[in-house]
Amino acid sequence: MAAMRYTAILCALIAVGCTDAGSSSGGNTGGTLVISVGGDPGVLVPALVQSVQTAEVVDMIYDRLADVGDSLNILNDQGFTPRLADRWTWSADSLSIAFHLNPNAKWHDGLPVRSNDVRFTLASTKDSTLGSPAASVISNIDSVSTPDSATAVFWFHARSPQQFFDATYQLPIVPEHIWKTIPPSAWRASDAGRHPIGSGRYRFVRWVPRAVVEVAADTDNYRGRPKLNRVIWAISSDFQTAVTRFLSGEADFFEQLRPENLAEIPKHPELRTRPYKVLAYSFAQFNLRDPANHDRPHRLFGNRELRRALTMATDRAAIVRSLYDTLAVQALGPTLHVYPTTDPNLPQIPYDPARARQILDSLGWRMGPDSVRVRNGAPLRFTLSIPGTSQVRVRTAVLLQEQWRQVGVKVDVENLEFPALMEKDTRRTFDMVLGQWNTQPSPGAVLGSWGIQASRAKSGNNFGSYENPAFDANVDSALASFDPAERKAHFTKAYETIIQDAPAIWIAEPLAIAGYHSRLQLATLRPDAWWAHIPDWWIPADKRIPRDNAPSALPGGVASPTASSTAQPAGQKSP
Amino acid sequence: MIVAIVAVITFVLIHLAPGDPFSAVTDNPNVSETVRATLRAQYGLDRPLPEQFLRYAGALARGELGWSFSYERPVNEVLATALPNTLLLMGVALVGSFALGILIALIQVARRDSFTDHALSGISLFFFSMPDFWLAILTLLAFTYWLPIFPVGGAVDPVIHEYLSWGGRVLDRLQHLALPALTLTLLASATVARFQRAALLDVLPSDYIRTARLKGLTERQILRRHALRNALLPIISLIGLSFPALLTGAFFIEKVFAWPGMGFAVVSAIGTRDYPLVVGGVIIGSIMVALGSLLADLLYAWADPRLRGH
Repeated sequence: MAAMRYTAILCALIAVGCTDAGSSSGGNTGGTLVISVGGDPGVLVPALVQSVQTAEVVDMIYDRLADVGDSLNILNDQGFTPRLADRWTWSADSLSIAFHLNPNAKWHDGLPVRSNDVRFTLASTKDSTLGSPAASVISNIDSVSTPDSATAVFWFHARSPQQFFDATYQLPIVPEHIWKTIPPSAWRASDAGRHPIGSGRYRFVRWVPRAVVEVAADTDNYRGRPKLNRVIWAISSDFQTAVTRFLSGEADFFEQLRPENLAEIPKHPELRTRPYKVLAYSFAQFNLRDPANHDRPHRLFGNRELRRALTMATDRAAIVRSLYDTLAVQALGPTLHVYPTTDPNLPQIPYDPARARQILDSLGWRMGPDSVRVRNGAPLRFTLSIPGTSQVRVRTAVLLQEQWRQVGVKVDVENLEFPALMEKDTRRTFDMVLGQWNTQPSPGAVLGSWGIQASRAKSGNNFGSYENPAFDANVDSALASFDPAERKAHFTKAYETIIQDAPAIWIAEPLAIAGYHSRLQLATLRPDAWWAHIPDWWIPADKRIPRDNAPSALPGGVASPTASSTAQPAGQKSP
Repeated sequence: MIVAIVAVITFVLIHLAPGDPFSAVTDNPNVSETVRATLRAQYGLDRPLPEQFLRYAGALARGELGWSFSYERPVNEVLATALPNTLLLMGVALVGSFALGILIALIQVARRDSFTDHALSGISLFFFSMPDFWLAILTLLAFTYWLPIFPVGGAVDPVIHEYLSWGGRVLDRLQHLALPALTLTLLASATVARFQRAALLDVLPSDYIRTARLKGLTERQILRRHALRNALLPIISLIGLSFPALLTGAFFIEKVFAWPGMGFAVVSAIGTRDYPLVVGGVIIGSIMVALGSLLADLLYAWADPRLRGH
């Protein structure tokens, strides 16, 4: 509230005055959304997105050919909604998909979106000199042909249930006329990446590093004018500062409150919270190979029974309850409850400390004089590496340390800064590490972190070197299956295999808690991208505050919507 | 020469630290080995360290500080944006802390051994021993949340600064400057007050002070005209020393108040292994410290006529 008063005072000093741009347009359009965030975005190029902050901005400015639905069903084209393509046609052999572009789609500089842009986007994303993280996940796409300016045909190497997802979700379309003169290797450094031109419902306005990013409504967008005039990301360098900015009323939205922040919310009657699912799971990962010589098994964790015993000694339910209260569920495995392919009743290794002690005894680990088990004179002792910047992981380590102490296992917790921890991960020089994967709508991403290829590649992301051909084979079969039931059955077998092998102790699937001002009318917060429906958020005219009516930095400000700009193009589903 | 040595040492040390600028990329299970290799090659990080250093030194000779991995823009540009903010914050804090510190010391000495003297000593000690980040968080909560009269963070209001009149922009900037400058001032003034009080007490028994008293000058006149100038010399030395202390001390202040200055940019760059930004920041910081020492020497000469001929 104070910030609103403060803004009102400043509004009195605005050179042009706080014109009521929003309310003059009436209805549900108008207003400013200020999002408090804890860091800057990276370069605003879709193919180079590496952080959530970047994805939030990029997804406002750029469009895909089609977008995945809220159910995150990625099988074939089920659940996808039209975007730049208003319709699509599958070939008889399913090896190509022809996307028919919306004739009204335009870039923010006024030029039409054409099939050449689609072809160019694919070619540049696959260009190895660009270094796009998306390149490896679109390897099934061979090429794009352009029979005419309004049709882009994707050609695939093989039929796959995910081929539509690959062609759309991974490839926001970029304008060829802006980027073709810049070599892909120079895109990161290009000015175009800091002043992007897209075709999304918001257009870029300004980016002041470590201060603010602003986008404004594209009032004659082919998909209709977004409801909010402006979206502003107010950047803080510190989490607590970012939260305080939200609590004090300087910002309208904060994407992920921590449990300790929730006690403050009831003190502010104007604030609300909304929990939402995210695509993340945390785990304690064993290194199955010797950190000093990767050709040998780890002295402890090369043994499957020892890993299972430690899993049995872990009260995961207590850890999740202690760390998150009700803001997380116990992780099932390297998967998520939200995937349609996940069986929520996957069998787990039970919490059974008595059985854990029996297994350790049977493996020759006898209780020593200082309550630490010993075998052949060597104690049952190892190091657990964690990033010190994550309070959740620090607390998890303490709880694990205590639970394992009770069965005679000594754990040394090694607190590292993030780059040092990542180096340990990639060099595989750890004993055990606490990690979290932020994953994608596709459950197939599991192979990138637990599959054999990711284990054997020099810098693969299967840091613990877990390898089981049965697991890989079942995931491959699942990914190749077009039948939802069969697909789920194969994934279930794969998950059962890896859960019983225990290459990690699966800990939690955290829920995120968004905080928002009650004047904001939110839409669904999608698990993979809570910001996906921001263009449909709105602020009732009678609840607007002075900052809602500040003019846009765009020349001429944000124009009032016209009848033509709010109309949906013919044949297009409502966004 | 000192700046060059510092730059070399920093370059070597930061490259020896574990991890690299692309650690964050490896947090994504879909990022392949090829992508990481491409990124490292694009930035020349796949070359031997001596070659990287020679290339860096060559660029430095042309006035280029390299490319910031974390900001995705030239280091010159990053520092050129951040340095004015840091200088503004430091400048206000430096002037404020020395003015406040000297004032407190004068009051304490004028009322030595009184309740006021002891109370101010206690308050000075409190701020002297207070961790800077803790004071910053307390100030933030006190004046933006419990008693919300100042904005939370940043150098300007992110929403409407661009649209303010000239006067409005100045007011906006001052409002955002108030809390970080106040925090730094409180922290630094405690040190100044303690030094200044001790220096004043040292000069008060001097013969020229006794002479001034015999001439009938008031205690206030004696303190301001005779004691203070002679007691300023150790404080002037403190100015030179304050530059590096303020630069590093500003890190936490900049972080808590989201102040887009150099201290936070450079220290954060260590965590992200943004090698060129770290080295560039150290070079600029070294130059600032050298200039601070020069300024202290000049002030010393101004305050002590005996040094002017040297």
